Amino acid sequence: MTGRLIVQDIYTAYDRADVLSGLSIEVVPGTITCILGSNGAGKSTLIRSILRLTPPRAGSIAFDGITLDTMQTHDIIGLGIACIPEGRRIFAKMTVEENLRVGAYLVSSERAIQMRLAKVYETFPRLKERAKQLAGTMSGGEQAMVSIGRGLMTEPKLLVIDEPSLGLSPLFVQENFNVIRRINETGVTVLLVEQNVNQTLAISHYGYVLSQGRIVVHGTPAVLSADAEVQRAYFGGAH
Amino acid sequence: MGTIGQHLLNGMMQGTIYGLVAMGFTIFFGVMNVIKFSHGDVLTVGAFAALVAVWATSALGMPVYVQFIAAFIAAMILTAVVGAGISHFLIMPLRNAPPLNMLLMTMMVGTLLREAIRLFFPNGTNPQRFPELLPAGGFSLGRSFFRFDALILIVAGVASIGVVYWIINRTKFGLAMRAVAEDVETARTMGINFARVIPLTFALGSLTAGFAGTIYGLYYSEINYGMGLLLAVIGFTAAIVGGLGNIWGAIIGGYLFAGLQTLVVAAMPSMSDYKNVFAFVLIIVLITWRPTGLLAERGSERV
Repeated sequence: MTGRLIVQDIYTAYDRADVLSGLSIEVVPGTITCILGSNGAGKSTLIRSILRLTPPRAGSIAFDGITLDTMQTHDIIGLGIACIPEGRRIFAKMTVEENLRVGAYLVSSERAIQMRLAKVYETFPRLKERAKQLAGTMSGGEQAMVSIGRGLMTEPKLLVIDEPSLGLSPLFVQENFNVIRRINETGVTVLLVEQNVNQTLAISHYGYVLSQGRIVVHGTPAVLSADAEVQRAYFGGAH
Repeated sequence: MGTIGQHLLNGMMQGTIYGLVAMGFTIFFGVMNVIKFSHGDVLTVGAFAALVAVWATSALGMPVYVQFIAAFIAAMILTAVVGAGISHFLIMPLRNAPPLNMLLMTMMVGTLLREAIRLFFPNGTNPQRFPELLPAGGFSLGRSFFRFDALILIVAGVASIGVVYWIINRTKFGLAMRAVAEDVETARTMGINFARVIPLTFALGSLTAGFAGTIYGLYYSEINYGMGLLLAVIGFTAAIVGGLGNIWGAIIGGYLFAGLQTLVVAAMPSMSDYKNVFAFVLIIVLITWRPTGLLAERGSERV
C-alpha cells in the first residue's frame, strides 16, 4: 500500500513570521490521519506547504520516498496526491461534469476518465442528474459532493481534505464523514484537517493536534480524547 | 453610395475583425485580469508578417493559394510567439504588481512594437500595399454587388471565431484555461501547470489578432504601422460593451460597433468620415446605461 507522507521539521512563513515552526508528521499508508487545531493554528498552512503552494523555507517533505522539496504543485499532484480544498472551491462557472474533468486533468485516457466519472456518479447519484448544471448554481451540500468527486477523479494514493465540515449543515457533515470513511476503505490514504474534534476522531486512525504552528500532542483517537491538551484546546479548559 | 447589401457585407467584415480583436482582450482579462494594450500592435505585427510571407512566397514563384495560406500561417505563428513571449517574460513576473504598472507596461510594449515596425521595416513609415490574393470578381443580387473576397474573408473570420470558441469550451486546454481563469490556486492543485497554460492562452488570444490583421490586409489592400491603435481601441471598447471576460459579449460587442459605424455611413453618407465619432458617442451612452457591459457575469463563458 502506498501513500506515505513524511513531513520533517518544516518551517513555513508568509512574509517574515513563521506560521509553522519545526513541524513533523507522518501519514501512514491506508490510514486516516487527522490534524486538529483551532483557527489560526496553521492547519491550512500545513496543507499549502505539502502542496508547495507556499513552499516551506526549511525542512523536508517526502511522499512514498520521493522528496517534494524542489517540485512544483502540479508535479506533486502527478505523484498521486489529490486535494479537497477548504471551502470546496468548485469552479462555479463550469458544469458539474467539467468540474470533475478538471479533477481528472492529469488523466490522459478518455476511457479512464469515463470510468471514473461513472464511479463518482455511483457514489453521488445526485451529481449524475445535475451533470450539465453550472456548479455555482447548486446548494452547498451538492457543491461539497462536486468538490469530493473532483478530488477522486485521479484515483489518488493520498487524499488531503481541508475542513470538509466547514459551512455545512450538521446532517451533511455526518454524511461527509461517512463518505470519507468509505473512500479510505477503498484503500485511499487520507490526511484530514479539521476543527470538528469528535466526528474527526471517530473516523481517524491517528491524530495530531496543532497549536501555534507546532504539534503539541499526537496519538491514537483514544489517547487524544483523553488528553488534557486536547481537552483544554477544545472543550473549554475542562481540567 | 452603397446599397443595403453592401453595407451589410462591409459591416459584417468590420464586425468580424473587431470581434476577433475583442476576443483577445476578453481572453487576457479573463485569465490574468490584465488589460493588454499591446494587443493592437501585436495585430500589426501579424499583418506585416503576413505581408512578408506573401512577398517571400511570390518571390519564390509559388501559386496564389500558397501565398494566401502562408500569409495566415506566418501571421498566426509570429503573433502567437510574441503573445506568449510578452506573457512569459513580462506579464507573469509582474502578475502581483499593481494593475496600473501592468497597464503601463503593456502600453510601452505596444509602442515598442509599433516603433520597431516603423523604423526597421523597409519604408515602414508609409502605408504598405497588401497584394490582392483573392479572386477580384463578385456577383450582383438585386442592386447589391457582393465581392467574392469579402465573402471568403467573412466566412474565414466567422469560422475562426467558431474555432476559438470551440477550443475554449470543448478542449482540454480550454478547460485548463477556464480553470486558471476562475481560480488559479485550485487549478494548480488539480495538476494544472499554470506557468504553461497562461503563455499558451496569450498565444491563442494573440494569434486571433494575427488572423484579424491578415484579414484586414487582404480586405483593405493596405496596412500601416499604426493600424493596430484604432483597432485596439475599438476591440477593447467592444469587449467592455459586451462585458469584459465574456467571449460571447466580445463577439456581440464587435458586431455591434461595426453595426453602429455602418448605420452612420448608411444613414448619413456625407458624414461617413465621422463614423467613429458617432459610434463612440453611442457607445459612451451605452456604457453609461449598462456599466458592467451587456453580458457581464451572466453566462459561463468567462475565460
